[in-house]
Amino acid sequence: MSQTIEQVEMQDPGVQGWRTQKLWGVLTLVSMAVLMYMALVWAPEDSVQGAPQRIFYIHVPSAWIAFLAFFVVFVCSIAVLVTGDRKWDDRAVSSAEVGVVFTTAVLISGPLWAKPIWGVYWSWDPRLTSSFILWLIYLSYLALRSYVPDPARRARFSAVLGIVGFVDVPIIYFSVRWWRALHPGYVIQPGKVDMPGSMVLTLMVGLLAFTFLYLFLLGLRLQNQRLQNANERKGLE
Amino acid sequence: MSMLAPAMLIARKDLKVEARTKDVLTSVGLFGLLVVVAASFSFPTTGEGRQGVAAGMLWMAFLFAALLGLGRSFALEKEEGCMEGLMASPAPREPIFLGKLFANLIFTGLAEIAIIPISIMLLQLEPGNGIWLLLGVTALGTLGLLTVGSLFAAMAVNTRTREAILPILVIPVAIPLLIASVKATEVALLGKGIGDAMQWILLLAFYTGTFLFVALFTFPYVLEE
Repeated sequence: MSQTIEQVEMQDPGVQGWRTQKLWGVLTLVSMAVLMYMALVWAPEDSVQGAPQRIFYIHVPSAWIAFLAFFVVFVCSIAVLVTGDRKWDDRAVSSAEVGVVFTTAVLISGPLWAKPIWGVYWSWDPRLTSSFILWLIYLSYLALRSYVPDPARRARFSAVLGIVGFVDVPIIYFSVRWWRALHPGYVIQPGKVDMPGSMVLTLMVGLLAFTFLYLFLLGLRLQNQRLQNANERKGLE
Repeated sequence: MSMLAPAMLIARKDLKVEARTKDVLTSVGLFGLLVVVAASFSFPTTGEGRQGVAAGMLWMAFLFAALLGLGRSFALEKEEGCMEGLMASPAPREPIFLGKLFANLIFTGLAEIAIIPISIMLLQLEPGNGIWLLLGVTALGTLGLLTVGSLFAAMAVNTRTREAILPILVIPVAIPLLIASVKATEVALLGKGIGDAMQWILLLAFYTGTFLFVALFTFPYVLEE
C-alpha cells in the first residue's frame, strides 16, 4: 500500500512540516538569483584574475557549507552515542550526504579556478588537499553505513566515524600545511581581507544563499530518511 | 577495577594464541617485507632523494602490515563468540580496547623490527645515529596508527564486508599520521637528529594522544549490543 507524504507525516510527529521546507526553498531561490546577479554582473571584475575570480562566489560558500555540514554530523554523532536516539542518526547521515555534495562542488570549482590562475588543475594546497581528504573520510562514512544492515549498530558505528573524522579536521589541515609550504595566491588571509567592499558583500550573500540551500537540502534528505525508516519498519512488521 | 590488569590479560591471551598458531606474525611480517620488495622495483631507490622514497616505502609496508594484523586480530574474536565472552566478563569495555591495542602493538612492532634492518640493507641506507630517531618515530607512529586502527577494526569485523572495509576507514583518517611519520622518518634516514623532526614528532604525539582519548571514549559504544 502506498502512502502519501502527508500520511507519513501525520503518523510521525517528528517529520518536519512541509511549510518550513517551502520557506527554505523560496529563500534559496530568491537569494540564489540575487547571488547570481551580484556575482556575475554587479561585482567588479578582478583586476588581476579577471573573470575566473567569480568562481570564488560559489567555491567559498560551498566550502563553508561542507564544513558546517560535517560539524553538524559531529554534533549529531555525539548525540547518537549519548542519547541512543535514532533521530540523531537520521540527521547525521542527512548532513553527511549534503556535506559530501558540497565538498564535491569545492573539489570541482577549485581546480576550474586553479587552471587559469595557477596554470594547473591541482596543486597540493592545504585547503584544497584538506577538502579532498575530508571528502574521502565522509565517503568512507557513507560506505561504512551501507555495509551495516542493523540500524542501531549502523548508527553507533557511523557516529564513531563521524566523531573521529571531524576531530581529524584541524590535524589534517596543519599536517598538509606543514607538508607543503603555503602557496601564493590567497585572496583572503587570516585577519586581512584584501578585496573591495562589493566583492565582500557578494561573498556574504553567497554564504547566506548557500546556507539556505543547505537547510533546504538537509530538510529534503531528512524527510527522505524518515520515509526510508517508515518503509524499513513496515518491512519488519 | 583497574584498566591495565584486564588489558594485560587480554593481550596475553592474544599472544598465547599467536604463540601456538604463528598465523599473524608470519603473514604480517612476510607481507610487510613483500611490500618493501615490490616497492623497490616500483620506485627509484638510488640517487638524490632516495631517503624520502625509502621513508614512504617503509610506511606503506608498516601501514599494510598493521591493517592485515588488525583485521586478523579482531576477526579472531568473532570466532566461537569470543567477543561475547569478553563482554560478559566483569572487566569494563575500555581494557578490551587497550588489550587488543597492546597485542597488535607487539605483532606489528615485531614485524617492523624485521622490516627495518632488511630495508636498510636492501635500499643501501646509512642512517647512522638517525637509527634511534627512526625507531622512536616508528614506535610513536605505529601507536597512533593502531589506536585508530583498533577502534575501526572492532567495527569493520561487524560489517557485511568483514575486515575488507578496514583500509577504507583507516587510511583517510590516518593521512596526517602518515605525513608526519614519513617526514620524520626521512629526517632519520638522512642521519639527522631529533631537532629537525621536532614539528613532526609533536604532530604525531598530538594525533596519537587525541585519538587515544577519542577511542577510549567511543570504543564502549562500538561493542554495545
